[in-house]
Amino acid sequence: MTSLVPTSEDTVIYEFCVLYPANLSQKEEQTLLKGIEEIFAEAEGKQIAKDAWGRRGLAYPIKKQTEGNFLVLYYEMDPTKMREVDRQLRILPNVLRHLMVKPPKGYELVKYSETFEQWQKDKVTDRETKRKDEESKLQRKVVEKAKRDAKRTEVKKAEVKKKEIPSTLEEADLSKKLDELISDDTLGL
Amino acid sequence: MDHRKQQQQQQRSDPRLKKCPFCLKETKYIDYKDYPTIKPFMDYFGNIMKRYYSGLCLKHQKMLKNAIERARFMGMVAYRK
Repeated sequence: MTSLVPTSEDTVIYEFCVLYPANLSQKEEQTLLKGIEEIFAEAEGKQIAKDAWGRRGLAYPIKKQTEGNFLVLYYEMDPTKMREVDRQLRILPNVLRHLMVKPPKGYELVKYSETFEQWQKDKVTDRETKRKDEESKLQRKVVEKAKRDAKRTEVKKAEVKKKEIPSTLEEADLSKKLDELISDDTLGL
Repeated sequence: MDHRKQQQQQQRSDPRLKKCPFCLKETKYIDYKDYPTIKPFMDYFGNIMKRYYSGLCLKHQKMLKNAIERARFMGMVAYRK
């Protein structure tokens, strides 16, 4: 993390982002990188930082390429030479896109090639923690449900027992009464 | 009145009451290369979220728009899914 401050008043620090296809052969890639460096050497630019992102997937195909290499460069140079650099970059073969930005005052340099890896790791860990949380939640739910079911069955059994006991008593009573009735001679059956 | 207040609390909070997350962090510049910070302010189709829903202040919304348009041009973020 270093903040960018130009050394003299005439020069400005610019940020260049170049996108080139991922399926280039090593020779082509080297010539391309050399070409880019030559352009900046012609414009008398002084390199401050370089950040090669490596192979990345593109959000949409550009010239039928679905993958590309990003190259972020920081150069300190004369503002009047920017137009020439832009023209040269546009002409250079095998460059899909290029972007030139003047970072604001107090801009702190961040190496996104490193932060991106960290971010992807974080994403994976986040996903895992989420899955674990969900699993534990599910387990808790299952256990609670099992408990509830067990309680319910116990309550039902108790109810059934309660119901059964009086009914048997009643039956016994009934049979007794019936016997009494039958044995009663006064009725004259 | 109390009843109505309770109902409002139970529902989703009012989008107008949100505070700008970039103002809370005091960000001065939103970088187009920083995908993780840009991503939550875009919907599934790649549109930039309305300020009303994200709660951004106008200053940061303009910065975000700039960053997203640059990222789209470089192929880091889709124009339309």
